[in-house]
Amino acid sequence: MTELMEPQTPQWWKKADVKKTFILWIICTAVIGYVGVEFHVRNIVAPASENMSSIISLIRIFTWAAAPVAGLVSAMSITVLTSGRHYGDNPPPEADHEIRNSPKTTAVWIVVSGLLCLFALVGGLVVLQHDNEAILDTKAVQVNVVAQQWVWNFDYPNGARSEDLYLPVNKPVVFHITSKDVKHSFWIVQMGIKMDANPGYTTETAVTPDKIGVFDIRCAELCGLLHAYMQTKVHVVSQADYDAWLTAQAAMEAGA
Amino acid sequence: MTTLTHEKTVAPGKSIIERLNVVTALVLGIVSAIVVWRLSLAFLPEDADTAKIFTREDKITLLSMCAWFVGFMTGIGALVGPFRWLMGKDLSHAENMFLAGKDMGPKRYFRYTTDHKVVGIQYLFITILIFFLGGGLAMLIRTNLGHAEGGWLHPQAYNDIVGTHGILMIVGTIIMVTGPFGNFIMPIMIGARDMAFPRLNALSFWLIVAAAIPLLWGQFLGGITTGWSAYNPLASQAPLGMDGYIMYICIFAISTMVAGSNITTTVVKMRAKGMTWNRTPIFIYGTVASVALALPAFPVFFLSQVLSAFDRALGTSFYNTAAGGSGWLYENLFWLMGHPEVYVILIPSIAALMEMAPVFTRRPLFSFNVAVMGIAGISGLSVLVWAHHMYISGWAPLLNAPFMLTTELISIPTGMLFLVLIGTLWRGRLWMTMPLMSILALLWNFMIGGVTGIYLSDVPADAFLHGSMYVTAHFHYTLMGAGLTGALASLVYWFPKMTGRMFDKTLSWIAFWLVQIGFNVAFIGMFMVGLAGQPRRVATYAPTFSTANLVTTIGAYTIMIGMLVLLHGVISSARNGVKAPKNPWQAKTLEWTVDYPIPLENFDVLPTVTSDAYGYGKAKS
Repeated sequence: MTELMEPQTPQWWKKADVKKTFILWIICTAVIGYVGVEFHVRNIVAPASENMSSIISLIRIFTWAAAPVAGLVSAMSITVLTSGRHYGDNPPPEADHEIRNSPKTTAVWIVVSGLLCLFALVGGLVVLQHDNEAILDTKAVQVNVVAQQWVWNFDYPNGARSEDLYLPVNKPVVFHITSKDVKHSFWIVQMGIKMDANPGYTTETAVTPDKIGVFDIRCAELCGLLHAYMQTKVHVVSQADYDAWLTAQAAMEAGA
Repeated sequence: MTTLTHEKTVAPGKSIIERLNVVTALVLGIVSAIVVWRLSLAFLPEDADTAKIFTREDKITLLSMCAWFVGFMTGIGALVGPFRWLMGKDLSHAENMFLAGKDMGPKRYFRYTTDHKVVGIQYLFITILIFFLGGGLAMLIRTNLGHAEGGWLHPQAYNDIVGTHGILMIVGTIIMVTGPFGNFIMPIMIGARDMAFPRLNALSFWLIVAAAIPLLWGQFLGGITTGWSAYNPLASQAPLGMDGYIMYICIFAISTMVAGSNITTTVVKMRAKGMTWNRTPIFIYGTVASVALALPAFPVFFLSQVLSAFDRALGTSFYNTAAGGSGWLYENLFWLMGHPEVYVILIPSIAALMEMAPVFTRRPLFSFNVAVMGIAGISGLSVLVWAHHMYISGWAPLLNAPFMLTTELISIPTGMLFLVLIGTLWRGRLWMTMPLMSILALLWNFMIGGVTGIYLSDVPADAFLHGSMYVTAHFHYTLMGAGLTGALASLVYWFPKMTGRMFDKTLSWIAFWLVQIGFNVAFIGMFMVGLAGQPRRVATYAPTFSTANLVTTIGAYTIMIGMLVLLHGVISSARNGVKAPKNPWQAKTLEWTVDYPIPLENFDVLPTVTSDAYGYGKAKS
């Protein structure tokens, strides 16, 4: 009926502002996706474990998934801002329509945001499952981490102790973390793992370092006066170097 | 009037209410605090040698602060009414008129005045004050972090400033829309003569004033060195300043609960004839959703701090794992309040912008029902997401996946709010004013805040991002980029109704651009250092983070200049701005139907509503 009464009205996708928005949408999506990904990838630390690599992939995927939505909002904003601005102290004339809703648009919007939500959830769950299984690895190197204001102490299975962490490359490690005083948070920055150190509880997290080098450990939970200074290094070395260091350290510990 | 003067002259007939004001309150508060302090110093037993060293001092501090609180509230006149009720009497008509501030002039702003318009202005004043205190502290933080080796603040002072900035801004943003505009505008907008409980309204405001002193006092007792989240057991080893924080939160929580029940009752029971839920403006929905969310959230906050006070002063072990308590209990209680709270801040701001969108585009609000669904959906889900603050706490790793689900689900109702705003702008006539540009600024800022929220809601990515500057940047984008933007737009939009004068247009534009540009510069820089691995709340950092930190500091100073321009705009426009017509924006909500100055009880004849307030635009002929 409506079409019969208004034969002049073109279909919605043929209207000028829709076409303009569509082109802007593609441009905005590309720009936002590209800039968003590059912003994160260039600023984020270089990965030193598979955990960190998959975090960067997740950020990359989520950014591209969010880009069309952000692109649409931006494109529509640009379209409305570039057509029919009105300046002055008196209001502009009334708009030439009184549309109060559009069930189809609303339905599409909700379904698409639901699907994106599901997508983000599944992506997160896949990686999460992988991380959770790593904690159960009994063949992994077991290191006890004891936090106290404002130092880290590491205990190794053979009795060695240290304040700098030493790890063999490409071997799974499970950390058992606790605290002597207040809450701290054990963060190996370049390996993308973090777990709070709670007094009275032991918490676990796991990682497999895949690069030889020296990386940062920082406390990520405000823990009092010298929180900012509560940091140390992790030395990821070859298995042979690690074994040599461990023996020497244990001998030193026994001698002392 | 003559009878009133007559009563006054007959000694000793001057009612107790007429003698009380902010001066008597301050005097009585300070005197009670000093008396209780001296008494407890004299009579409280010494701690046993085995006890924690601070216990006795904590008791003395908390008792003195409680005495301040009771003394101040008595001195302002909050107890007169309840006391009369206990005696089986009530206030006389003349006394009620006096309380409402009838024919009193500027003095009513310094008394326990029940008129909702006075309370609204009082809230506006205290919100501005809190923002300038909190903002000043932010400038200290950013100056300290401007250069890697420039850590001129002692770490203890720095930690205190971070904590005080946090709690001041949280309180400031919670009250920034529902306080001034929820009190001043909302009753007129629904066509009511006043709030449902005018005395509770005055109570909620003066509680916030009473709360301020313990926080200030705490600054002289070692400060809040724990950040605003005040995690235990760090809080139990913190200096006496922590007791100031505890008292501040307890009193503020009472204020929020009082205001929340008042606003909810007013909206449910006192809407004008014909104002069905379909015709109720969307700003009202936002205000009610916000305070209704605060109703379950703030009692939990109150409780968490009471238990914290017990642990500190009485030696209990609610949060002490070694003695059978749990530090995770505190985190749960805190975030049970903490996550609904961010939506308490956000929803009224967005709803206010939704209210303005049809006015400045001259077309109906797009999808009123979707807007209501979005607000309801966010409110419902927001109480189910708190443990995403605890993904890496080790409390319940198995619950991480369900909390990731609820957190990501919030993006659906949030998307609905985006749809309503962008849908209303679409094919509208854009009236280029600061409130209209604020809608676009909100879309931009909240988009960045929302998308970065998706990374943070993801458990594996959060293992890297949690506790870093990235989180700080994210929540500033939501609370400030979205929340504050809406509040500033509300100020410009409702300024003519509140002061009778227009907000200076040029100044509003200058302030808008300085704040928005400064804001985006500051917090993009903060995202960068977060990704590079700088933790939150650190007094100093590695030299590799220098450049981006300097960028953030420059942005922060730009925001400060913008806010000072805005303050100048508020003062100069309120004094000598252009006189505003009754309805300068040609809006259709009820508050624009009353003349300035708005009389006591707002309406001579209560209005009847026959349609919603969004009947803009004209049908195609």
